[in-house]
This record gives sequence, structure tokens and C-alpha cells, in this order.
Amino acid sequence: MYDFEYLKPKALAEAASILAGDGDAKALAGGMTFIPVLKQRLNKPSKVVDLAALGLSGIKVSGETVEIGAMTTHATVAASADVKRAIPALAKLAGNIGDEAVRHRGTIGGSLANNDPSACYPAAVLAMGATIVTNKRRIEADNYFQGMFATALEQGEVITSVVFPVPAKAAYMKFANPASRYAMVGVFVAKGPKGTRVAVTGAGQNGVFRHKAMEEALAKNWSADAVAGVKTPADGLNSDIHASAEYRAHLVGVMAKRAVAAAG
Amino acid sequence: MTATRTEIFSAGIVEAGLGTVTREIPAGEPPPWPPNAELTWIGKDVPRLNGRDKVTGATRYTVDVRLPGMLHARFLRCPLPSAELRKLDTAAATALDGARAVIALARPGDRLRYAGQPVAAVAALSPGVAAEALAAIDAEFRPLPFVVDMDEARAPDAPLVYDEASAPKGNPSGFPAAPGLPVVGNVRGPAVVRRGDPAQGFAAADIVVEGEYRTQVQTHSCLEPHAIVADWRADGLTVYMSTQFTSGVRQELAALFGLPLNRVRVVVDGMGGGFGSKSQLGVYGRTAVELSRLAGLPVRLALDRHEEQIDAGNRPGTFQRMRLGAKRDGTLTALAIESHGTAGVALGAGIGFFAERIYTCPNFETLQHDVFVNAGPGCAMRGPGNTPGAYGLEQAIDTLSERLGLDPLALRDRIDPSKARREERRIGAERIGWSRRHKPGADPGAVKRGMGVAQSLWMSNVQTNVACEVRVLRDGSVEALSSVQDIGTGIGTVMAQVVAEVLGLRPGDITVRIGDTEFPPGGPSYGSRTTASITPPLRTAATRVLAELGREAARMLNAAPEELEAREGRIRVKSDPGRSLAFRDAAALLRTDRISAVESRADDYPGFRRRMPDAAMAHEDLGGVQFAEVAVDTETGAIRVERVVAVHDCGRPINRLLLESQVQGGVLMGVSYALLERRVMDRRTGLMVNADLEHYKLAGVHDTPEIEVVILENLQGNSATDAYGIAEPANIATAPAIANAVYNAIGVRLTSLPMTPDVVLAALGKTGRS
Repeated sequence: MYDFEYLKPKALAEAASILAGDGDAKALAGGMTFIPVLKQRLNKPSKVVDLAALGLSGIKVSGETVEIGAMTTHATVAASADVKRAIPALAKLAGNIGDEAVRHRGTIGGSLANNDPSACYPAAVLAMGATIVTNKRRIEADNYFQGMFATALEQGEVITSVVFPVPAKAAYMKFANPASRYAMVGVFVAKGPKGTRVAVTGAGQNGVFRHKAMEEALAKNWSADAVAGVKTPADGLNSDIHASAEYRAHLVGVMAKRAVAAAG
Repeated sequence: MTATRTEIFSAGIVEAGLGTVTREIPAGEPPPWPPNAELTWIGKDVPRLNGRDKVTGATRYTVDVRLPGMLHARFLRCPLPSAELRKLDTAAATALDGARAVIALARPGDRLRYAGQPVAAVAALSPGVAAEALAAIDAEFRPLPFVVDMDEARAPDAPLVYDEASAPKGNPSGFPAAPGLPVVGNVRGPAVVRRGDPAQGFAAADIVVEGEYRTQVQTHSCLEPHAIVADWRADGLTVYMSTQFTSGVRQELAALFGLPLNRVRVVVDGMGGGFGSKSQLGVYGRTAVELSRLAGLPVRLALDRHEEQIDAGNRPGTFQRMRLGAKRDGTLTALAIESHGTAGVALGAGIGFFAERIYTCPNFETLQHDVFVNAGPGCAMRGPGNTPGAYGLEQAIDTLSERLGLDPLALRDRIDPSKARREERRIGAERIGWSRRHKPGADPGAVKRGMGVAQSLWMSNVQTNVACEVRVLRDGSVEALSSVQDIGTGIGTVMAQVVAEVLGLRPGDITVRIGDTEFPPGGPSYGSRTTASITPPLRTAATRVLAELGREAARMLNAAPEELEAREGRIRVKSDPGRSLAFRDAAALLRTDRISAVESRADDYPGFRRRMPDAAMAHEDLGGVQFAEVAVDTETGAIRVERVVAVHDCGRPINRLLLESQVQGGVLMGVSYALLERRVMDRRTGLMVNADLEHYKLAGVHDTPEIEVVILENLQGNSATDAYGIAEPANIATAPAIANAVYNAIGVRLTSLPMTPDVVLAALGKTGRS
């Protein structure tokens, strides 16, 4: 790791102003990606701004929404009785991210700000049409994800929470990488206030995406058979040592079918 | 002629009914042991004596050794798969503050043949300074054409890894490859084994089965890296090393540095795995000693995980083309295999002697070729040759049984002459519930279950250059000593059991000192030979030292020494156990503070099948049969091994708990080989893509099946303990048993390793091959 200045501000405005004023300053949430990146000297920040003291963690459930603070860990979401009641699929998703250590450090805000193409949370956010709340504005999921590791966040903009509209039906299925359990392919299906939506993570070269053909099929007929008939083209999907694009395309269909079946 | 006497030994498989065998044995050997049921400690579940130290972190591994003034060493490695070293200037590194020694391991003009080949090494005050010193070395490499894929390397126009003059020459012992074979392009060989007339055998066959099988390169992935702390001093060299062979490393060091053996000491305490890759001194060991010699200070050199993956050995990949001819009743008429394998820049990529020895077949031929590629050198790994060899042949046998309409077990009953494996098949079939096995692909639903079987064969190796010392001290405490090392299997506990059995004490009463060449030479921990080699001389030494103690006790008990026995912590008169002395009180009668006996390994009583300078092979091979039950998700292609029943033999089992643990390790390694592990080389850059433990996946707790282990007691009357090893047999049968179970589940045969989900789906015709 290269030398940098470590800061742990107590106020959101202070954190935002440091980040806004220095393009080489970087925010630190759970650090599950950022710390390894620093250790491998893949990034050389001037300052590391730790967001841990800003009071950004916590879960609020109202009748129609679940709001999760940006610094809430995956383990907290997974264990939350409120989340389990309102959106069980979201609690289950959080409980299957990485391993125990990752789940106790990694945060929802960190995951979304990083937008790793194999992360699980982006699929939930996009499929349920959640809203990303920042210190500056509210961003709809459809406008937030902008490709692999790219988001709508601007310099100095910090995610403070994520608001999920509670869906009538939802489920997430992933085919996990055998080593670190990230999604080689993950499919989140939801039927709720934002419509019938299917989001796919792990597969696309540009990160999470909505599967429009499956959405149309499910809107007509919410059933596993309906998505089983939808072919996913391999074009634009990732191909690496773990799986070819064609294999990933096949898995999208299988995971979607199983997700719909699980959603009931 | 040494004096001999005649003894009658229990012989046969205890589970199947015992007989006897009469042997002429050297007069100094102890009397035959009865079957384990009549012994106190032998064959029992004695927990590892160093288990507590291991789980509490008290065990000292080589990587934990810290000596005063110790320097830290690192390698500069070739970044390209094939290159000419143009320039190597170490002046700036040598001048760096904190750098204490720098050595060049290649010269300008040298050809470098794989990415990761050591070019230079430095020793410095800290790992950080060592890294800085490496960065200060001015090295220039001229890229040369390379080939990392075995099939591409076989093409006539492939870049040459070696010319004929520079290619490795093989070894007079034939291991890992025979000398004197031709080299054409990148292909060396074939090494030919032939008996009978294969062409005639195929002509006489009613049915011929053909198959092609491919196995991947697997890395050893020892959890403790290759590590050494070398301490060169004026009065001698001491080396702390994670090694499978302390006395072998001592011999190498003495020869290499021109030192007498009595000035070289090699020490290992805890070891975090070797699997064949820590059998020799190696370039890293030699380099650390040289750096210590130059710097006049101790030097620590431990490879990091990336180095472990690219330059610490690997199991070679193979491609096998097989033909099997049989009569309608299953009798084999011919077996012919041609194999090509690659151990990178090294030799030893054959398919072993599995096919040669396991089944009765009068007409037989193997043609084994090594193919050089620009990748790190392979070396022996747990059942070298036989593990990939069994993957091919055991699937071909499965195919043959189906074509003949015979149960795979019934076919093997016909063609396998091994009595041990016959019994193992019977027991295993019962345990796994073989009668539940359905026809291939017959399980309905998306997740299909299946059951398969495969067999194992390995040599009963014995090291003859082995000795042990047993000491009794005047307070009644006991020590057992040998330079033998505990590679992780618990040989120290086994030694304590043997001594305790002889002296009538408990294993915990025996202090075992091993892993140090100051003690009598203990032989290597490779080739599944440690227990077979060391327990007989240990028993003999314990018997001798007890006889000396017995002479003192006999006087006190007014009995003749031969009337005494040592049982339950006492020396007592056999015919009148009431007349006895506590072992401690007997020891107090000694005239000196300590008595001791050193014994060397005698030959096996019926002699050996083959005798090499320091080693030999017992007459009967080791067997083993494994059954696997799998569930295959035909939608995702994921295979789950749900259960493995592993039935094995190793002569007389000494410690069932440790044997089970070792078999579990072998099975787990086999599951990992079958489903997960694969070295991936990038054809464009010539580099290993997954040189870590994230993208190179080892089986973990998620992937571990239920493993049931059964160990036969197979008495042969061969030595004072009649014990043999089990490490390698435990690994050989697992992957083919899983492959045969996958075939039984889905009705489609997978012929390449690892059997990853995308390979399964492609075989099922659901996606193209990736």
C-alpha cells in the first residue's frame, strides 16, 4: 500500500467536503474491496475518508418501504427480523454474500458505490426499483448503475441509505463462485410497486442489467415455466476461467426459473 | 550368514479369516505379534500426541523459526515464459543499505524456460529491504517464442523448450523418468512396457473398448509454503526446513557444499504438508544456504503463495488413449495405452504402473511420453502417475463392464487377482448400499444421483536405510529417537504406540524425538513408506532395551530374564504375575543414568520384490477400493459428492484413528482433483492465470462429502510390525470413483478433469464446450 492520510470525520458534511475538494481522496466503507486494492497498490489515494463514524447504519421499516443505512453490514441485514418479515429475499441475499468475515465488515452502501459486476446487492436494488439516497439527492435504481464499477455518483457524493419498496413477491438465486461465493450468475425477480422486474448480476460485461424479455414473459404469466422458455443471448456476457459466456447465459435461465419458483 | 530361527506368523486378512505362514527370520528379531485384537496399543485409536499443540498453535513450523540476526531472502524470477537473459547487474542491489548478500542464479546469455524461473536472490535485514533490493537489480530479458499448451507443444512447428542436448536426461532409477529415451521436438519417449502380443490379444477379443481421457495440472498447494532457515557457521551448517526427508537433505547439502555429514544438521518440527513437493533440497534450499554462507548470518527463505503456485512443483497433466480387449466373460485379452503428459520443463508426466499391475491381462503395452512446455517443473505428487492413470483405466473398466452387461464389481472379481481388494469390494459394496445402484441416467428429476466404484494400487515401499534409538532412563522415562519427520500424519504417535506396546507402558509415557538428523536416520516421508520403514527397527530396538532392563529386574525377581514380560507398567514373571516390579523401579536398578539400543531396518522376512540401494519394494502391492455417491444438477451442471466409502489395506494397521484421518485427506484431495483444481495457463502470455488460492480452488468444507473409512488388517508376516503405508492409495481411486458415479447419475461419460459445471452441461449437450 502507498502512503495516504487517514481521516475519520464525525459529520457527513465534513466527509463530503473532503471528498468533494480532493479528486484523489477516497471513501472507505467496509473496505472489503478497497483494502485489498490498496494492499495490491492498485490505487494511490491522497486521503482515505472512513465513513464509519457518520451514523449511517440502521434499518427502518415502514408499511411500504425498507430503508437501510449505507453503513449497515450484510450480517445485520441478514439477521434483521424486520427485513426478514418485509423482504425475506433481501435478508437471504445478504446472508449469502461472501463469507462470515465479509458479511460482518461489508456494507450495502460500499457494495453499491463499488458496483462490482459480480456483487449481489445491485440485483436486488435494480429488480425492486429501489432508490439510492445520497447527501445530495435521490437516485432511482434505473439511473444509478452505469456499467462495470461505474455509477451515477458524483465527486463528493456519499450514499446515506437505500430505500426498497416492499414487493409482493421476490426471490434471488445465485450460482456462486466455488471459492469466494460471489455471483457467477445471480438473478433477482420481483413483482411489486415498481412492476415486474428481473435483474441479472455476475453475467453482464457492463454489470447488473434488467432482463426485459423475462420481465415481459413474467408480466403476462408469473411462473417458472414462463421464464424457462426465454432464451438469453450470450453476447455481452462475461467469459473467464470460471465460466464461458454461453454457460453464463444458460445459468441466467436456470437461476431465473428457480428464483420465480422460490418467490411463489 | 546371520543366524536365523523359524517362526509361525498369523497371515491373511483378519476380516476374511486368518491362516498362518512360516518364516525363517534373523535370530535377533522379536517374536511374531498376534493379530491386533490381542495387542494393547497396536491397531487402536490413539489420538495424536501432538494434537493439542497443533490446535492451540504451539507447534513450531519452519515458517515460525526466528534466529538472532536472521536475514530475509527473496527471489528475482523470470517474468516471461521463455527468454534469454541479456543483462544481470546486481551492483545497486548489493550496495543497498540493509542488503547483506546477493547472488546470481543465471548468467547473461542463459536461456530461461518458464515464468517464475529463479534468476537472482537477495538476503536483507527485512522482507521489505529484500524487496527493494530485488527492484534494484537491473535485469533484461529478451522474449523468445514459447508454448504452454501440451497439444500445441506436440505440433511439429511448436517452439522448442529444449534442444536434444539440453533436455533433462532422466534418472538411472527410472524415477521420475527413465534415461536414454529419444527427444523429438518437445516430445520425449516413449517409455515402453510390453508383455505378450497386444495385436494378437485384440484379435482374440470379443469386445474392444476405446477411450480418451485427459487430466489437468494440479498444484500441491501445501498450506505451509516451502520454507527454510539456513544457519551457516564456521563449525557447521544447521538447516531448519519444511522437508519430507531430513537425512536426504543432509546428504544433498553435504555433497553440494563439500561438507562432511557430521557438520550438517537438518531439523524440522511441525510440517504443513508436502505431498511429494518437499522431498528434496530444491533451488530455494540451496539458495538460502548459499546466501547464509555469503552473509555469515542465518537466512530465512519462505515462498509466497504465488511462488508456490508457479514454482513449487505440480502434478503433471496427461492425455491418455486407451484400448481394452476382453472376452464375453470379462477376461481381458489385451490392454494398450498411449499417454502424453507434461511436467512443464521437467520429466515424470507418465501414467505410472497402475495399468501394468492391477488386472490380469496377458497382452499389454504402454507407451508413455513426456511433453515439454514452458511452465514450472512438475514433481511427484501423492500417487504420482497412478492417480491420473487410474482416472483413465478405471473409467475404461467401467465402460467395459457396461458393454459386457456385467456389474463393475463382478467384472473386477474376475480380472483382479488381489485378495485384499476382493474383500474391500465386498465390504464397500455393503457399506455404500451398492444394491441400490440404478441404471445409468435412470434417476428422474433435474438432480440425478449415481454411484460409482474405482480401485487403487500402490507399491509397498520400504526404506532400508533407516534406524531408531530407544532409551530408558534411570527414572523410568523413555525416549524414542529418529530423524524421521512428521509430515502431518502422526508418525510420532505411531512410534510411541510401538514402544509402549513393547515396554508395557502407555503411548503418552514415551517422549518421541524426531525431525532432526542428530538422531538415527529415519528415511523419507514419501512413497507411503514411513510406517513400513521405521516401525520394525523401532520395535526391535525397544525389545533389545527391554531385555537389558529385564536382566536387572530378573535378579531382583529371582527369575530368568526370558521368564519376564512387560505389561501394564510393570515387569512381571509370566507364570506368576504377582511377582513383579514397577517399570520405574526396574529402571532404578540400572547402573547408568541411561541405557539405549539403536537398530536398523532389516529386510522383510520373505525378502523383497525389488531392492534398490536404500529402498525396496515388498512383494504384495497396496490395494484400496473407493465407492462414491454423487448428485448431479443437470440444469447447472454442478456435481456434489455426497458420500465416499473408502476401504483400504496397509498390512497391519498401527493406529486406526490416524489412518482414517489420512484416508479422509486423500479422499478430500481426490474430490478437489475431480471437481475443482486446475492450473490455467494463458496461451497468449504464457503465465499462470490463477496463481493464488482464490481462482485456484481447493476443496473446502462446503465441498466435503461424508467419508466412511474401513481399514483391513492384512497380516503377511513380513516384518517385526508387518505395517505398510496408506497415503497414496487413499488418493488414487477417488477421482475415477466420482467419474464413474457421475456416469451412473447422468448416463453420459465425462472424460476430462476437473469435472466442472460447464463441462457437465456441455457433455449433456445443453451448452457448447467452453
